[in-house]
Amino acid sequence: MAATAENKTPPRNRSQFIRTHIPRTEQFAAMLCILLLAGIGLVIWQKGKNFDPHLYALHPDALKSTAEAVAGKTATIRGEAAQARGVVQTATTATTTTLDGYGEASAAAKPAAKGEPLLMTLAGIKPMGDTEFYNADTLYEKINGRAPAYLGFNFQSLRCRAFEVVGTGGSYVDVYEYYFDTPVNAFGMFALERDPQGAALDFAPDGYSGAMGYFFRQGAVYVQIIASDMKEKTIATAKSIAHVRAKALPADDTGLAARRRLPATGLDPASVQFTAENALGQEFLKNVFQATYNFGGKKLPFLVMVAAPDEAVAAWKAWSEFSGKFGGTITPLPDAGGAKIFQAENSGSWRVIFVRDGTLGGVFDAPDAAKAREFVQQYLEGKIP
Amino acid sequence: MKPENENSGVSRREFIRRAGATGALIAGAAAAGYVLWQPKHFVPGFEAQKGLSLKSYALEPAKLLPTMAIAHGAEHDKTIRAALGALGGMGRFIKNGDVVMIKPNVAFDRPPALAATTHPEALRAVAKLCFEAGAAKVVIADNPINSPTGCFLKSGLTAVADELNLDLLYPEANAFAPLEINGEILRHWTFFKSPFKRATKVIGLAPCKDHNLCHSSMTMKNWYGLLGGRRNQFHQHIHSIVSDFALMMKPTLVILDGINVLMHNGPTGGRLSDVKPMNTIVAGTDMVAVDSYGYANLLERDLAELTYIHKAHDRGLGNKNWKDAFYKEVPA
Repeated sequence: MAATAENKTPPRNRSQFIRTHIPRTEQFAAMLCILLLAGIGLVIWQKGKNFDPHLYALHPDALKSTAEAVAGKTATIRGEAAQARGVVQTATTATTTTLDGYGEASAAAKPAAKGEPLLMTLAGIKPMGDTEFYNADTLYEKINGRAPAYLGFNFQSLRCRAFEVVGTGGSYVDVYEYYFDTPVNAFGMFALERDPQGAALDFAPDGYSGAMGYFFRQGAVYVQIIASDMKEKTIATAKSIAHVRAKALPADDTGLAARRRLPATGLDPASVQFTAENALGQEFLKNVFQATYNFGGKKLPFLVMVAAPDEAVAAWKAWSEFSGKFGGTITPLPDAGGAKIFQAENSGSWRVIFVRDGTLGGVFDAPDAAKAREFVQQYLEGKIP
Repeated sequence: MKPENENSGVSRREFIRRAGATGALIAGAAAAGYVLWQPKHFVPGFEAQKGLSLKSYALEPAKLLPTMAIAHGAEHDKTIRAALGALGGMGRFIKNGDVVMIKPNVAFDRPPALAATTHPEALRAVAKLCFEAGAAKVVIADNPINSPTGCFLKSGLTAVADELNLDLLYPEANAFAPLEINGEILRHWTFFKSPFKRATKVIGLAPCKDHNLCHSSMTMKNWYGLLGGRRNQFHQHIHSIVSDFALMMKPTLVILDGINVLMHNGPTGGRLSDVKPMNTIVAGTDMVAVDSYGYANLLERDLAELTYIHKAHDRGLGNKNWKDAFYKEVPA
C-alpha cells in the first residue's frame, strides 16, 4: 500500500510552478472581462424586467432576413401614396419595430418562405410591388383567421402578387397561388370555398369564374385571381392572367382517382368535396369524395372512398357496426354487381353503403330509402355513367 | 514520509481560501437567483403586468334616447344618417372640438365589394357626420396583420382619408405600448396607443362578416385590430379574447355595416357570391346588443352558438337581448 502511495507522489527534484507576479496588462484584461460579464448580466436583467413578447419569441433567422421579408410585405404599397403620407417602411424601420417589441409582428416578423417571383408577361399590366411569400407559419399574416382552414389541408406556401391594370385609373388584379402537399388537398380547399353559382372554366377542369374573379386548382396549387372591381377591362385582364397561370402550372391529378368514380349523371358539379380525414365524423372514412346528385327528383348525397381492399372492407364493417348503434337499424341487402351492401336507418335518415374491390361508397343522409337503394344498385350495375 | 497535505501541493491556508471563494460564489449565485426569481410562471401576455389603462369613451346613458338604432337602406350615406338620426343625431355623441378616432376594420388588402373590410362609403358617411357635428379632427387607424398601407389603399379608405382630410395613422414603430386589460384571458397586451393620444371620442365602424374561427366578426371583434404582437396566439382562446375586447374598449358609439354582408368564407372572403346585400346599418352604444342583432338578423344565424356574445353578456359587458333595449328601427 505504501509503495502505491509513493508511486503517486511527484518527483522531488521537480520544481513547483508558482506565479509570484501577474503582469498589469493581464490583471487589466481579467478585470475588463469580469466587468463585461457583469455589464452583460445587468443588461439581460434590465431587459428581462420589461415585457417584450418578441424578445421571448424571437426567431433568430428573422434578424438575417428581415430586410428581404419586408421588401415582399410592402408589395401592395404604392410608393407614392406611402411616401406622401410620410410612411417609412424600410428594412431598418421594420427591424426596429420587431425588436422594440411593440410594433406589429407582421410588418417584419418571421422570414417569409422564398421562392420564384410571380412573373407575368401580359400586355396592359404592371406589378404593384414585389411577390409576397408565406409559409405555414406565416400564412396568418396574410389571411389571419382564415389560415386554419388552409392549414387543415396541409397548406405549404402562398405566393401572391398584385398587378395594376394599366389605364383603368387604379384597378388591379390580385393573384394568389396556394401550394398544398398534394393535388387532392389542393382540391379539398378549392372545393371548400367553391362558389356554387360559379361558371365552369374551359381551361381548368377544377375551376370556375365568379363576378369578380377566377378560381381553379392546377396540380397541387389552388389559384385565386381576384379583380378589384367589375370594370370590363379589369375582368378581361383577370381572365387573361388566369389563362396564363393555368398554362404555366403543371397538371397533376394524383390521388384524385376516387373522384373519377363519382358518376357524372345527375351530379351537381359545385357540390363535389374532398375530406382527407374523419369524413362524416367517422375516423375510418379517409380521402373521401362526396357530391350531391339529382336522382328521380330527389337530392341524394353520395360518397366514394378508394383504399386497399382490406382497408375498404374494414371501413365498411366499421360503418355497419356504427350504424347499428344509437337506435339505428341495419338491413343487409343482396349483393349487386359483386358488391356487399348494407342499408341503415337512424331517425328517418337512410344510408345504403357498398364495398367492392377497394372502393367503399354509397348514399347517405337520404330521406328516401327506396331512392337510395335504387341509386346504389344502378351505380354498381354501371347504369349511372 | 511527508504528510498528505504536502503531497497534494495544497496547504491548509490555501484550502481554506479556495473553499471560502467557492462558498462565496455559491452564496452569490443563490442570492442573485433569489433576486431574479419570479414566483409565478411567466407567460408573456397572459400575466398581470403594469401597463397603461384605456379610459372609457362612453357617454352617460340617456334615458329618453334609444341605445340602438336599426336603419334599412341600400346606400351607406342615407342609411347611416337614418340610423344616427334615430339615435338623436351625431350631435348627441360628438361635440365641437372633439377629436374623433374612428376604428375601421381594414384587416385585409381586399377590394371594398368583397365586404371583408369597412366600406369606404361607410367611412365617408361617418366622418362627414362627425365634421358636421363639430369635430375638430377625425383620426382613422387600424393595425392589419398584413401590409397596413396596402390594406388601407386596396380597401379604398386611403382615398376617403385623402379626400376628407382625415388623419390616417399607420402602426409605425413606437406607436405601441403595453395595455393593462385584466380580461378573462387577456391580462395585458401591446396596444396601438398613438391614435388615442388626443382622441376625445371613439367610434367603431365594422363590417358584418362571417369568421372561420369565431363565427363572426362585427363591432366587438373589430377592436382586435388595435392590438400588436403575435395575435395568432389568440386563435386558441378566441371567444374569451373577443369578449375581453368589450372590457378593453368602452367606445362612444359602434356602427355595424350590414349593407353588404360577407356570409361565407370569412374573414377574408374573395368571391362576390359570398356577399349578400342585407341593406341594414345598426348603430348603438352597446356593442353586445348591436352584434347580437347582427348575428341573428344579418348573418341569419342562431345566436345561441356565438360564445363570445354570451361571455360578454354574462360578464355584464353588454346586453345580448337587444330587444330588451330601447331601440328604434327606421327606413333610410
